[in-house]
Amino acid sequence: MPISAPRLVVEGLSAGYGAVRALEDVTLSLEPGETVALLGTSGNGKSTLINAIMGLVRPRAGAVYLEEDGRRTALAGSRTEAIADLGLALVPEGRRLFPKLTVEENLLLGAYRGAARALRVDRIAECFDAFPVLKDRRRQLAGNMSGGEQQMLALARALMSAPRILLVDEPSVGLAPILVARMIDTIAAVKERYRLSVLMAEQNFHQAVRIADRGYVLVHGRIEFEGRTANELRNSELVRTYYLGT
Amino acid sequence: MFDLLANAIVAGLLLGGFYAAVTVGLSIAFGFLDIVNIAHPGFIMLGAFAAWFANDQWGIDPIVAGVLFTPIFFVAGAIVYRVYHVSFERRGDAGLRGLAFFFGVLFLTEVVLLLLFSADYRGVDMPYLETMIGAGPVAVPLRMVVPFLVSLAMFAVLQLAFNRTFLGRAIRAVSQDQLALRLMAANPVRVKEIAFGIAVATASVAGALLLTIAPIDPSMGRDYIGRVFAIAVLGGLGSLTGTLLAAITLGVAESLTATFYGPSWSPAVAFGALLIALVVRPSGLLGR
Ligand SMILES: Nc1ncnc2c1ncn2[C@@H]1O[C@H](COP(=O)(O)OP(=O)(O)OP(=O)(O)O)[C@@H](O)[C@H]1O
Ligand SMILES: [Mg+2]
Repeated sequence: MPISAPRLVVEGLSAGYGAVRALEDVTLSLEPGETVALLGTSGNGKSTLINAIMGLVRPRAGAVYLEEDGRRTALAGSRTEAIADLGLALVPEGRRLFPKLTVEENLLLGAYRGAARALRVDRIAECFDAFPVLKDRRRQLAGNMSGGEQQMLALARALMSAPRILLVDEPSVGLAPILVARMIDTIAAVKERYRLSVLMAEQNFHQAVRIADRGYVLVHGRIEFEGRTANELRNSELVRTYYLGT
Repeated sequence: MFDLLANAIVAGLLLGGFYAAVTVGLSIAFGFLDIVNIAHPGFIMLGAFAAWFANDQWGIDPIVAGVLFTPIFFVAGAIVYRVYHVSFERRGDAGLRGLAFFFGVLFLTEVVLLLLFSADYRGVDMPYLETMIGAGPVAVPLRMVVPFLVSLAMFAVLQLAFNRTFLGRAIRAVSQDQLALRLMAANPVRVKEIAFGIAVATASVAGALLLTIAPIDPSMGRDYIGRVFAIAVLGGLGSLTGTLLAAITLGVAESLTATFYGPSWSPAVAFGALLIALVVRPSGLLGR
């Protein structure tokens, strides 16, 4: 089965907050079926980049577009809900669940977008298969779940929208080490299952590189290194000295 | 004694059902949307006079008229929300200024009704409403039973809409995390606009029920402000079932007080009970 995801392209993107320049001239791409890691320590602009792709942060310059069958759809300037409607799903930093709705209601809200509604019954069954704890807790309020369960729910909710491109912002934050490895494996598994393209921001270099096909390293809002393979990332001088601090 | 008690309880249940219809629009606005719509009783009076007018002019049953007018009230509610959103909510000014806005809307509805209909009492004369039904020692007029049943039906419809539809779930989520809702491809302003339209549409039905139960005058809405807020808060914000339970509790409390201590005591005792309940359980009966 061919991968039908569009290509995601970011070109010359700059963004900031007031006087803070958070992104400077960032250019990158996410090809259909790829898992790309967005690496960088805290405060280097990973979330800003992901949020700019989703229309949550307004870029100051540059372009974001989808490319499919030779057609380009510009995203920069569109509303977040319109971008989500195109099949981009984000597992946001901090999870952003609806705490006073049940697990099941959170999942069903994931399927809000037109193209996902008809698929909701199958998708929810698949989510319950992949995350049995969500099935056991489906009538529980999302706000009462543990951190690890909430992260699974946030991922499952994003999958409910039948996305073609999945953006994940630091899935490892706040999880116990054993859960981090499991979460990263799960992302790799759902990527295979649904034939997604995945762009994953992560501080945890070793975990991210396990599943990434390639990656970018952000330093002070600029792409300082592009690893065309996971090994290139592992062997990079910059990653060793600057990013891993060894 | 037993007969008196039984009648008071049944009358209170029916009254409570009606109170639930009057409150539900506020519960939606306040509980789901964080909009303190003190103008809601004003919308209810508009609904009551619209139903009266339809009955007076065309002889339509007031409750049928109340249901038929819901689309108009829905649109009016959506417009009021747009104005509120553009003028206050979007600028982060929703608190006190928003309250003043809705107070102004309440005042406006009252003035418009006074100009159109004067301060006279208006009622409807539908003979079937006087029929008494009952069992054993209990007897109640259809005037009370019909509004109770209509209110329950309205709750059933709303409950289904809010719990079983995509839009309904989005309405319940919108005050929890707007950013997350946008990530689900839903536009929060649009969602709130529709929800507020629904809230105001319930006033069309509730107004018709009010007219069915007793004659109306334009300033009557004010009598309901305190009661409606007490019920919404006691029920637990964000829970329609809680609203229904709280309304029925208040109805029964008022009815018992009126029967055994006299009608002038009923507001005081009922509110006393509400205050105590809130001290014991601040999140309301079914609040989360
Ligand atoms: N809302 C905001 N207002 C002002 N400055 C911000 C805001 N959000 C981020 N920044 C600044 O922008 C820069 C990039 O932040 P960003 O959140 O994108 O980093 P990050 O790589 O995601 O960090 P982390 O790994 O801690 O999540 C930082 O200097 C940060 O302080
Ligand atoms: Mg971040």
